[in-house]
Amino acid sequence: MSWEEAINRVISHGIPRVYEILERHPYLPELASKLRKAREEVIKNLDHYVEMTMKSVQRTGGKAYLANDAKEAREIVGKIVGTGKRVVLGKSMVAFEIGLRKYLQSLGNEVWETDLGELLLQLTDDNPSHIIGPAIHMTKERVAKVLREKIGADVSESSTHEELVAAARKFLREKFLTADVGITGANAVAADTGSIVLVENEGNIRLSSSVPPVHISVTGVEKIVPTLEYAVIEALVQSAYWGLYPPTYVNLTSGPSSTADIEHKRVSPAHGPKEFHLVLIDNGRREIAKDPDLWEGLLCIRCGRCHLHCPVYRVLDGKFGAPPYSGPMGAMWAYFVYRDPKPATLCTHSGNCKDVCPMKINIPRVLERIKFRASKAGDGKA
Amino acid sequence: MASLREVLRDNLKKYGFPFPLNKAECHGWSDLPRSGRTLFYTSCMYQIATLTKSLSKFVGMADKLSAFGFLASKLLKPPKEDLERASRVLNKMVKLLKASGVNDLFYLYEDEPYSGAALLEMGYLDLFEEHAKSVYSFFKSRGISRVITVDPHTHNALTRYREFVPGFDVEVLNVYEVIKEAKALTQEELTVHDSCLYSRFLGLRENYRGLITKAGLRIKEDFLITGKDNAFCCGYPIEAVDRDLSERVAELRAKGLKSLANRAIVVCPMCYAQLRDKVEVVDLMEVIE
Repeated sequence: MSWEEAINRVISHGIPRVYEILERHPYLPELASKLRKAREEVIKNLDHYVEMTMKSVQRTGGKAYLANDAKEAREIVGKIVGTGKRVVLGKSMVAFEIGLRKYLQSLGNEVWETDLGELLLQLTDDNPSHIIGPAIHMTKERVAKVLREKIGADVSESSTHEELVAAARKFLREKFLTADVGITGANAVAADTGSIVLVENEGNIRLSSSVPPVHISVTGVEKIVPTLEYAVIEALVQSAYWGLYPPTYVNLTSGPSSTADIEHKRVSPAHGPKEFHLVLIDNGRREIAKDPDLWEGLLCIRCGRCHLHCPVYRVLDGKFGAPPYSGPMGAMWAYFVYRDPKPATLCTHSGNCKDVCPMKINIPRVLERIKFRASKAGDGKA
Repeated sequence: MASLREVLRDNLKKYGFPFPLNKAECHGWSDLPRSGRTLFYTSCMYQIATLTKSLSKFVGMADKLSAFGFLASKLLKPPKEDLERASRVLNKMVKLLKASGVNDLFYLYEDEPYSGAALLEMGYLDLFEEHAKSVYSFFKSRGISRVITVDPHTHNALTRYREFVPGFDVEVLNVYEVIKEAKALTQEELTVHDSCLYSRFLGLRENYRGLITKAGLRIKEDFLITGKDNAFCCGYPIEAVDRDLSERVAELRAKGLKSLANRAIVVCPMCYAQLRDKVEVVDLMEVIE
């Protein structure tokens, strides 16, 4: 089965659903535009908000770190995790960006992706084809084959979607319960409270962030929003514009688990994680935040809606961008974090992306500026 | 070897065009006066659209565009039948503009400058800026204060001059902002392939679609294929960067259009050139009068 069939199924399921959601809950576009303003404020004063966030995390009893690049980020996480541990990863594109899974494995840890799409990629040693649905390039027939061959699941090509999900559930359940460390990303980080918000449907993030004794969140500095209010808004907006609304779970974590059940004195830990670590990653973002031509691209909330409306993404078999960043947003982010201008040069300025973007990012204009840089870099060669 | 930037700059200087074009081919279609108040501005796009398509078959961007490359001995010429078709489309526009009350149209013939659209779209923003400034001084030297563009790429380029040319004060109108009335020439059910630039960048979607409706053309739509957010590009703008990718976009687009009707209306000469070997396309000007 081809990519074209897989993506056509995703488009016919996904695109109409987003419009239905936005029509049924008309407050969502309003929240999106309110969120854009708040995020602009952060991007324009990024250093200030990074500092505020780190102090807030410390107030909750967590630890906060700022990593300048991917290597630093890997090493910070590597030191917390150590070796010989079982690690469960909730879905995190930033973890992919910094090469975290393979790094932790190289330190002698057993590491499992727990998002179903990410698990499928781990089992096939593949790259994500979509920022939210990382395995949307796989049809259900292919998924059945992978689960059967790689984890010995009792499924076949005629298995239903439900049966395939049940097989993954059975396989992963024990991993959650026995993991030493849970690592997640963050959809948003509240500067005023140091809380992270994670939106999901599977429950894997809730399990990864509450069952293991140590919870590490790795995320980009641009995910910071001024207050907790906006962090929750971000989760709602992100899930709506990807067409899964209401989201099954919105997880809000402020530091390690705690209780105040005895004399209203707040103590930590309680039943959940004993440690909470937030690793904020720069990896080129702070320089982009200061760039008058490109900063707008940092407002992306990773809903992935632009992908399904982009002709280049559709014909490039999901390989438009630079993993894990795909589609129109990925063409921007390939430059932001890898300084790779090539994907931007493939933009045909169809313009759908900017029209469907909840943050109203003028993606074609950002890509035009990256093209210009590519053209200058290309001088001397033809 | 020269960089693409140098080749483009050199060609613009020598031929007034990004590639070695014989500009005498651009103006055979017209019998408009040489002076007037409102410039009918083609930027030679309708005339050369199919030519750029055949150019991109050859690999090596700088080579392809350089007069020192494979076509060193002669300048490029569009095929005769394509020029004749362009002539019919452009003359229909003139006729409909006049019917809409624009009676002071003129055309610059061999002096008509190129808009710089390809420089902008390929990201050669510095060249675009240089070029836009020179076009603006030319307009000023001729006392031109109002321009009607006839294709989306030129309209996009000219409406962006403001960002690159300080004090740019020429009024830029598009043919679909001016033509208000027309009659359908067919009752066949057609579909519409929108121009990305008109539809999603320039706010002109309702203008030509309004004209289509008013003329009484019968149109088949599908929200996932022709809706504003879902209709997509013909692939032309990346033809010079990655021809294969550009063709794949065109094929996907043609497939969608063919599922709706036998023929699709286009409002851009580049969409026409890009799609015509994959789905039957007609310019809006060919189905109204």
